Amino acid sequence: MATRIFGSGIKRREDPRLITGKARYTDDFQMAGMVHMVVVRSPHAHARITSIDTSAARGAPGVVAVFTGHDLKLGAIPCAWLVPGSDLKVPAHPALATETVRYVGDGVAMIIATDRYLAQDAADLVQVTYEVLPAVVNPETSTKEGSPQLFPEIANNVAFHWVASSGDDGVNQAFAEAEVVVKERIVQQRLLPTAMEPRAVLAQWDKYAEELTVYSTTQNPHIARFILSGVTGVPEHKLRVIAPEVGGGFGSKIPVYADEALAAWASMKLGVPVKWAETRSENYQVTIHGRDHVEYVEMAATKEGKVTAIRGTVYAGLGAYISTAAPGVPTILHGLMYSGAYAIPHIRAETFGVLTNTTPVDAYRGAGRPEATFLVERLMDRLAHTLNMDPVALRRKNLIPPFENGYTVAIGLTYDSGNYEAALAKALGMFDYEGFRREQAAARQQGRYLGIGVTTYSECCGLGPSQVAGAVGFQGGLWESAIVRFSPAGKVQALIGASPHGQGEETTFAQIIADELGVPVDDVEIAHGDTNRSPMGWGSYGSRTTPVGGAALVTAARKIKEKARAMAAHLLEAATEDIEYGDGKFFVRGAPDRFKSIQEAALMATLAWNLPAGMEPGMEASAFYDPPNFVYPFGTHIAVVEVNPATGQVDLQRYIAVDDCGPQINPMIVEGQIHGGLVQGIGQVLCEGVVYDDQGQLLTGTMMDYAMPRADMFPTFEIESTVTPSPHHPIGVKGVGETGAIASTPTVYNAVIDALQPFGIEQMEMPLTAPRVWKAIQDARAKGGQ
Amino acid sequence: MQLSGTYTFNADQQTVWKLLMDPQAIAKALPNAQSMTPIEGETDAWRVIVKLNLPVINGAFNGIIRMSEQVEPDHYRLTVSGEGQQSVIGGTALITLTPDAGGAKTLLKWVADANISGKLAGIGQRLAGSVAPMMANQFFNAMAKQLPARP
Repeated sequence: MATRIFGSGIKRREDPRLITGKARYTDDFQMAGMVHMVVVRSPHAHARITSIDTSAARGAPGVVAVFTGHDLKLGAIPCAWLVPGSDLKVPAHPALATETVRYVGDGVAMIIATDRYLAQDAADLVQVTYEVLPAVVNPETSTKEGSPQLFPEIANNVAFHWVASSGDDGVNQAFAEAEVVVKERIVQQRLLPTAMEPRAVLAQWDKYAEELTVYSTTQNPHIARFILSGVTGVPEHKLRVIAPEVGGGFGSKIPVYADEALAAWASMKLGVPVKWAETRSENYQVTIHGRDHVEYVEMAATKEGKVTAIRGTVYAGLGAYISTAAPGVPTILHGLMYSGAYAIPHIRAETFGVLTNTTPVDAYRGAGRPEATFLVERLMDRLAHTLNMDPVALRRKNLIPPFENGYTVAIGLTYDSGNYEAALAKALGMFDYEGFRREQAAARQQGRYLGIGVTTYSECCGLGPSQVAGAVGFQGGLWESAIVRFSPAGKVQALIGASPHGQGEETTFAQIIADELGVPVDDVEIAHGDTNRSPMGWGSYGSRTTPVGGAALVTAARKIKEKARAMAAHLLEAATEDIEYGDGKFFVRGAPDRFKSIQEAALMATLAWNLPAGMEPGMEASAFYDPPNFVYPFGTHIAVVEVNPATGQVDLQRYIAVDDCGPQINPMIVEGQIHGGLVQGIGQVLCEGVVYDDQGQLLTGTMMDYAMPRADMFPTFEIESTVTPSPHHPIGVKGVGETGAIASTPTVYNAVIDALQPFGIEQMEMPLTAPRVWKAIQDARAKGGQ
Repeated sequence: MQLSGTYTFNADQQTVWKLLMDPQAIAKALPNAQSMTPIEGETDAWRVIVKLNLPVINGAFNGIIRMSEQVEPDHYRLTVSGEGQQSVIGGTALITLTPDAGGAKTLLKWVADANISGKLAGIGQRLAGSVAPMMANQFFNAMAKQLPARP
C-alpha cells in the first residue's frame, strides 16, 4: 500500500491558480451593462444630517443615479446573534443613514455611474450638511454618565450586560478567603483584520426570472443569502449567493454589511448589474474591526500557587451598530473560556457590550478566545511573579490532568479531550528552559534583558452543536452538510456547504475522500461557495470547516462506501458481510483476486443494468452533520525575546509552538495555518493597533499608518505537535485555524514583561512599540528600578 | 490639533500688513489654488478651490476663507473651512505681526487650531504636523515675493 494520503503534506491544489493570477475574485467579474456603486460616507463620527443635496452629483459625467436613505426600500441590517439573558437591545441599522451618522464611514448616499472613477468623482459633489455632535470612542468611558449617547433608547450606550458564573457565592467566597489575589486592567486594543482582498459585491437582478444573483466576498454564502433575503425581500429560492475566490477573511467577511444590500437593491431598482469594491482605506473605515476590550480581571490563589478563582468585568466595544455576530464574541466565545487549560473551581465572567462612535466590531481571528487566553495567561504570570514562583511550575500545578472523553470546567463547558502536560513537556523538550534561565541571569549582569513567555492554552472551536447555538441565541444552526458523488467514469465530486477562502480545504477534503474511498486524490474535486450548487452550510469561521464540514464529508463518503460494498457484493455474487475492503477494492473474504474496484461498483450502480433488489441507482450520498460538542485544541507556546533597554526595541528571537489539533490531514497546511495565526497574534503584541482621536476620527486609516507585522520581525517558527483525537469526531480532528492567534499574543507579551522584571515593570499597553517600551523603562528607572 | 509657526518678512510692519490684507496677493500665493472669488454680501470672505496632492488623497477641496478681528497692523484671525475627498477641514489661526528692533523686518507668528475629519484624518494627523507648516511657509514665501521692491 502506498503512503497514506491522509496525513501527507501534499501541496495545496489551490495555489497554482492563486500565484499565477488565474484565480477569479468578485471584482474580476464583468457583466454586460454593469454599473458601479460608490458610497458617500460620513467624515464625522457623530453628527445629525441637516440636509443632503445630490443635484450636482446627478448631473456629473457618467452618473446613472444617486440615492439617499430616503429612496431605499430595504430592511435594516440585522444582528444574527441575540445572546439571551443579557437584555440585548439591537438598535436599527439602516443601510444608509437618514438622520444621524454614528461613525466615520457611515453611509449617507450612493452613486451609481458607468465607471468606478466617475462614481468616485461624483461622490464628492454630494453636499451633505451636518450638525456635528460630540463623539465617544472608548468603550469604558462610553458607559459613564454624561457620555455622548448614540441611541436614545439605549441608556449609557450599554447594548447588553451578560454574566456567566460558576456561582457568585462561591466566587465571592474564594476571593474573600484567598491568600493571594492578583489584578490587572487589560486593554485589548482594536485591530484591523486586513484581509488581502478587500470586500466587494456584484449584484445582478434578472428581471425576467425575478432572480437575484450576488457575487460576494463572504465566508458564509448561505448565511449571506438568508440575511440578504430578509433585507431585500427576495425569497431565498430566488436568491443565489456566490462566493468566488475570496482572498482571506479572518472573520471580517462573516457579516452582511450595508454595502451588499445596497448593491442588491440598486440592481433591482435599475435592472442592471451593480458592482461595488472597497478601497483599502474604505476597508479600514467600514469593514469590521476586532477586539476592543477594556478588562478588569483578577485571580485568587493559595500561597502554594493553586488557583482558586478567576473573574473579570469586560467593557467590549461594539462600534456604532451591532454587527452580525458581535454580541456572541465577547460573551459566549470569551467569557466561557476563562478556565483556559486550568482546573479553576470558581469563575465569573461579566461583559458589557458598549456602543461607541467607531467602526463596528465583530469576530476577528480567534474571536473572544484570544482575549480570554490573554487574560488567563497574563494573570498566571502575574501570580507567578507575586508568589516568586516559576511560571512553568505554576502552570503545571494548575493544568487540567489528561482526559480522553470529556472534562467539565466550572463555568459549564465540557472540553472534549486534552493532554496539556504532554504538549508542555514536548515544547520544553525543544528548549533548554533551565539553561535559558541561567543565561537570562547572566545576561542581566551585562545589562542585557532576555525574557521568556510560556503559554499553556486550550481553546474552543469547531462551532458547534446547533442545540447550543440556539440556546446561546445564534440565529442559525451550526451543522454542515456534504454531497459526495461518483461520476460514471469514476471521478468523485464533493459539494460542501462550508466556504473555504484560503484555508486549503479543496486539498485537505480531497485527501479525506481519497483516504475514505481509496481513489486517487487527483480524481477528487471539492466544490463550494455557491448556494445554487453547494448544499446548505453555515460557513467557514470559528475553526469549524474541518471539525464540522469535514465530519459531514466523511459521513457522506462512508455512506457511499457502504453502498459500493453492497453493489460489489452483488456483482461478486457474495453476501455483503463477506466483502472486505482494502485500498479502493472490495474483495471476497479469503479470495483477494475476486474483487471489484470502487469505481467499477460506482459505474455499475450508475448504469443500473443489474442492481441488487431495492437499491436505488447512482452512487451519491449526502450527509448532514451536527457536532455533539465543540472541539478543544490545545498546546504550549514558548517565546524568547530580548529587549534593548537603550531603544525599547523588542527582538523576538525564538518561537516554539506545539499544538494539538488531533490527527493532521495535511501537516503542511496545519503548519501554514499556525504560521499565519502566529503572525497575527504577535502583530497585536508588537505593532498593530487602531487609533482614533477623541472625536472619533480614524487616524490609522491606511496601511502607511496602521502597522502590519512584517516578515523581518519574526524568527523561523519551530512547530511541533502532539496528537490527541477528539472523541466525538468521526476522524478525530480538531480545528487549527485560530490557535496561533489565540496562543501567541500572551506568549510574546509575557516574554517582554519577563525581560523587564529587573525594572519592576508588570504592565504596558499593547502594542509594545519601541517608544512605549523605552518610556516604561525610563519611568521605571526614574522611580528607582534598575 | 494645535499647530504654529513663524515667518520673517524683509519689510516693515505696515507694508506686510497691507500685503496680507490684499486678496489678489493671497490668491497668487495660495498653494495650488485654482480659484478665489469674493463671497457676495460679505466682506473679507472668499470661496476657494484648492487642489491638494498628498499620498492617498489628491483632488479638489472647496473652501471658504474668512478674515476677521483685524487690528491694524498687529493681528488678525484667519478662518478656513473646506471639504472634498470625503473629508472636512476646519481651522482658525491667529496671526500676529511684530517689528524687529530696527523696524526693517517683521516677524509673523501664527497659532492655529485645526480639525480634520473623514478620509483625510486617516493620514492627515500624521502628515498635518509637517505638511501644514510647509504649506504655510510656501504661502508666506510666495507672499514675500510680492512685497514692493525696497526703495
